[in-house]
Amino acid sequence: METLAATGDVKRKSFFRDWILTVDHKKIGIMYALTSIIFFFFGGLAAILIRTQLALPDTQVLEPQQFNQAFTVHGTIMIFLWIIPMLTGAFGNYLVPIMIGAHDMAFPRMNALSFWLFLLGGLVLFVSFFVGAVPDVGWTAYPPYSIESQGAGLDFWITSVHILGLSSILAAINFIVSTWNMRTEGMTFNRMPLFVWANLVTSFIQLFGTPALAGAVTTLLLDRHFGTVFYNVQAGGDPMLYQHLFWFYSHPAVYVMIIPAMGIVSEILPVFARKPIFGYKAIAYSSIMIGLLGFMVWAHHMFVAGMQMTEGIPFMITSMIIAVPTSIKIFNWLATLWGGQIKYTTPMLFVSLGFLGLFTIGGLSGIMLGAVPLDLHLHDTYFVVAHFHYVVFGGSMTAIMAGMFFWFPKVTGRMYHEKFGQVAFWMYFIGTNLTFFPMHFIGMAGMPRRVFFYQPELTTLNQVATIGSFVIGIASLLLIANLVHAIFKGQKAVQNPWGAQTLEWTNASSPPTEFNFEEMPVVTSDPYQFGEKKDGKTLDDDGVTA
Amino acid sequence: MSSAAQKEISQIGGGQVGLSNFYLPEALTGTAKDIDGLFGMIVWIALVMFILVEALLVIFLIRYKRKHPDKHGKAIDGNTKAEVIWTLIPALILVFIGIYSTSMVYTIQEPPENVYEIKVTGMKWAWEFEYPNGAKSFNDLRIPEGENVLFKIYSKDVIHSFWIPEFRIKQDAVPGRETRFWVNADQLSGGENKYEKRVICAEYCGNQHSLMLADLQIMPAKEFTAWVDAELTRPKTDAQYVVQANGCTSCHTIDGGKSAGPTWKGLFGKKQIVNGQEVTVDEKYLEEAIVQPDAKTPEGYSTGMMPAFQMEPEAIKNVVEYIKSLQ
Repeated sequence: METLAATGDVKRKSFFRDWILTVDHKKIGIMYALTSIIFFFFGGLAAILIRTQLALPDTQVLEPQQFNQAFTVHGTIMIFLWIIPMLTGAFGNYLVPIMIGAHDMAFPRMNALSFWLFLLGGLVLFVSFFVGAVPDVGWTAYPPYSIESQGAGLDFWITSVHILGLSSILAAINFIVSTWNMRTEGMTFNRMPLFVWANLVTSFIQLFGTPALAGAVTTLLLDRHFGTVFYNVQAGGDPMLYQHLFWFYSHPAVYVMIIPAMGIVSEILPVFARKPIFGYKAIAYSSIMIGLLGFMVWAHHMFVAGMQMTEGIPFMITSMIIAVPTSIKIFNWLATLWGGQIKYTTPMLFVSLGFLGLFTIGGLSGIMLGAVPLDLHLHDTYFVVAHFHYVVFGGSMTAIMAGMFFWFPKVTGRMYHEKFGQVAFWMYFIGTNLTFFPMHFIGMAGMPRRVFFYQPELTTLNQVATIGSFVIGIASLLLIANLVHAIFKGQKAVQNPWGAQTLEWTNASSPPTEFNFEEMPVVTSDPYQFGEKKDGKTLDDDGVTA
Repeated sequence: MSSAAQKEISQIGGGQVGLSNFYLPEALTGTAKDIDGLFGMIVWIALVMFILVEALLVIFLIRYKRKHPDKHGKAIDGNTKAEVIWTLIPALILVFIGIYSTSMVYTIQEPPENVYEIKVTGMKWAWEFEYPNGAKSFNDLRIPEGENVLFKIYSKDVIHSFWIPEFRIKQDAVPGRETRFWVNADQLSGGENKYEKRVICAEYCGNQHSLMLADLQIMPAKEFTAWVDAELTRPKTDAQYVVQANGCTSCHTIDGGKSAGPTWKGLFGKKQIVNGQEVTVDEKYLEEAIVQPDAKTPEGYSTGMMPAFQMEPEAIKNVVEYIKSLQ
């Protein structure tokens, strides 16, 4: 940087130059985070509307069509505009280059393009609000219902999905190339932080899966406007083709939402347990297993969709197999806690009680849904809603929250308010269980998903869920308030407040300078060098043997 | 869980259901009971795993809480033996669940010989049931007790899903495809054989998806035969039948809710604006609206939306009377 300044090549700073034209991976990461948090607010609002309607069996808070639009918008936003961009766009962009000891991504301008496409895709979806044609087809948009859908809402939805998909593919290529080629001296694959491993696997999933989704929604668009007959039964089309294409992407997409979250967990646990991660290789390689197997389980979403029941068996088997690498991770994380010196901080609570405690429930209910005979009853009921919310809310969301608190001092150079952070965690934890645990029973007792009307016998359970959702809503506001307050009024953070061992903490200031490092770091060990060695020597917080 | 909630749940299906049965409704077929058995087994396995993980988590968090700020934990970065154990044990459990489930799938799929076939057709937003003698019923499924019944499931428009929680089975109704499942059902316990709104559409299919519900009756074989014979010859002019068979409620709600056409609730006697003139809805207006819908289209609706219906005068009269009753 000194050399750049010396040649007088530094242009005058302005907001436009600093942010709009930036190709800095950190700023792009921050823009991803801010944008997706705004989208998250709308997705959450839709969820609150849904739960308000369901507080009573037959209230008319929303018209039927508005209700259908609310759950479509909720699902689409949370998946495409919040969890995926937050995990891969925000955390991925900010952390991957700095964690592998690089100045930036391999293709900085393509990286900026990914962000702007993401913003564009989100805005195209939101345009549908203003033209009064919000899609009401569910986030899955199954034909033939979606083809008949009136108004331009679905066309906006398809366009939006296409643009977001392009953004994902570009980002995935960028991550793969960067991770392969930009690692600093000594940063071998087996010394990479586990978040980088997770992000790499995720990028491959995005690269191979997204085109299937693009194909699926393109056929919808062609059927709607250009007279093709992919899904027109009278002309020999078959609606199930769409479901195969859709789930070929959308089941791996679940792993896009959970593998980076697992990466965040693997970063935070050892830091606050002051222990090396237990079974580094098992955790890293089980991500690869999950990534591969993720492409072989898609039809478990379709056990009752018109396949022969026995056709479901191979997909049941692969779904069972995928539980193995997942449980390996859980036990490795538990073993990381064993014999540790655990400090209770907000990020630690979110990953331990939060992620480990809640994701386990989602994993176990997943085994039930994966068994064909049980899925005959449970498919498309609130049991499924409970299951995937324990995975993406109990899992992905708590990891995102943990990550936001954990890297907050790094990104802003300020500390958040610890006590309020912990209050927010407990509200989150209680709210999540209140909201989603009763849904298991609601589903088993016979309430399908995506309905605004239900049997009055299920009122109490539904009201518990509604109260829980309000608790989550308040917790989210508290959490955002904490972080916003800290940006302006928080205590100044030191370079490495947690005593972590990854490069962004050990070798970069808080916040990092424009090119991350003053000197290129050289790596000599894996990034979790904590703990008392057998010879009695200890490591202090800077990772230096004392 | 509050005891009130448990009591509420226990009323579903008339049988004794509660936490002891994981809130599942009464199982009315042998298959449903088998599925519940598998469910119970997996739930217990899951519970053991759940308690193991959560207990270890909480114990470790409490036991290893850091007391001195600079202290480190043990520098253990792995143990092959332990890792092999916690890879193999879950794998073996899952293999067991997989094999057990697989054998069950074949039993559920293969219908026995001598089945009584009922044709189920899903449409926006009603269920049509056609019996072997040609009799049809709408939103009213009746099956003979203790006989093998095979449902052949179709769709007239979009994808629906034919689900009866008491049988623990659903299959999607997919346009252009025939799906099927079979049951052999007992009566509901408690002497009641009618079960309202228990045939449920489980696949989202549009505005009134939530209300695409049919009643279920499991009748003694003799009563059933008598009913199905009578149903074939019965003059089909009663309002319920006509309304369902012509799919009126696809566009007209009966509870005041919005839909493509005007709601029937409070329609009779209402003042409508037609071609700038105020018209009161009376019998004549309604009759004309059924036979010639485009003759007097009220403001806010466009012509050409509703087809003209040809019906017996008796049927029209009954439907008009029905609409009159919805005040």
